[in-house]
Amino acid sequence: MTQDRNDGWTDDTDRDANLDALLAQLRIEQAPERLTRRLYRIPLEEGAGRKARHSVWRDWFRARPRWVLAPAFAAVPLLVVMLLLQPWQPSKAEVEQARHDVAVAFAYLDRAGLRAGREIEDVLGGELRHSVKQPLSEHMPFTESIHKEETS
Amino acid sequence: MSTRFRQWVDTYQDQAWTLARYLLRDPSEAEDACQEAFVKLWHHRDRIDPDKVRPWLMRVTRNQCLDRLRRRRPTQEWAEWQTADESPGPAEGTQQRELGELLRRSINGLTEPYRSLVVLRDVHQHSYEEVANVLELSLPQVKTYLHRARKQLREQLAEVRP
Repeated sequence: MTQDRNDGWTDDTDRDANLDALLAQLRIEQAPERLTRRLYRIPLEEGAGRKARHSVWRDWFRARPRWVLAPAFAAVPLLVVMLLLQPWQPSKAEVEQARHDVAVAFAYLDRAGLRAGREIEDVLGGELRHSVKQPLSEHMPFTESIHKEETS
Repeated sequence: MSTRFRQWVDTYQDQAWTLARYLLRDPSEAEDACQEAFVKLWHHRDRIDPDKVRPWLMRVTRNQCLDRLRRRRPTQEWAEWQTADESPGPAEGTQQRELGELLRRSINGLTEPYRSLVVLRDVHQHSYEEVANVLELSLPQVKTYLHRARKQLREQLAEVRP
């Protein structure tokens, strides 16, 4: 029995004591120097680039209390709406240009209207003259067969 | 801020390293896991309660290690277990060097979360509450699992020292 106790692994109580003693001997291992150097470099490697990209906006947001941000964000769409609703005032040069464009457009419409009127007058006038001299049905192709049957 | 981070490195790097060494059993991978955990600590430094840095860092380190273990092939895990770890371990230099080595290997042979439990509680001497926080377990779960882990260790040690 004494021998068993000296061995230390035959009784549950002794085993627990031995295990605790062994576990107590396990120490936290010291990290290698290489890892320490790697960890020290993290702020330089991870911090520099990120800070350059984000620090301006992050600092701006952090510098102000949150309640300031709500009206600040609400003001943006309000500003856009105000810009859209603002009456537009053309310059004198734009007005002159517009007048000139309208004059040219009306001159073109006048000329086109006159030419169309003359063509209408020429066509209608000639047809009307023919219809007075001869029967109107002679000038219509589909009436020619009827006209020949009647004369034969 | 960089000064505070440096203090965290000085204070917690050994604990993170030891945990990673036990979980991964590969010094190179353990270094990478530690670095990734500290990179996360750097990015979350403003959101972490300064009083809870240690459990936060241990949890992240453990998760990094578990991710790496999942990516490993099962055969690789078994081969590592069969191959003796030649590098000096946490038990190096103790009076019962041989038993210490056996115990270390027995801890390495435990499955999760038992391995992390033993490392955090018995090696790091964390409180039960802190271990529960790191492993995201309840306090009764921590005690039950720790009891099972120690039982497994006792059985493995009894096999080599009948």
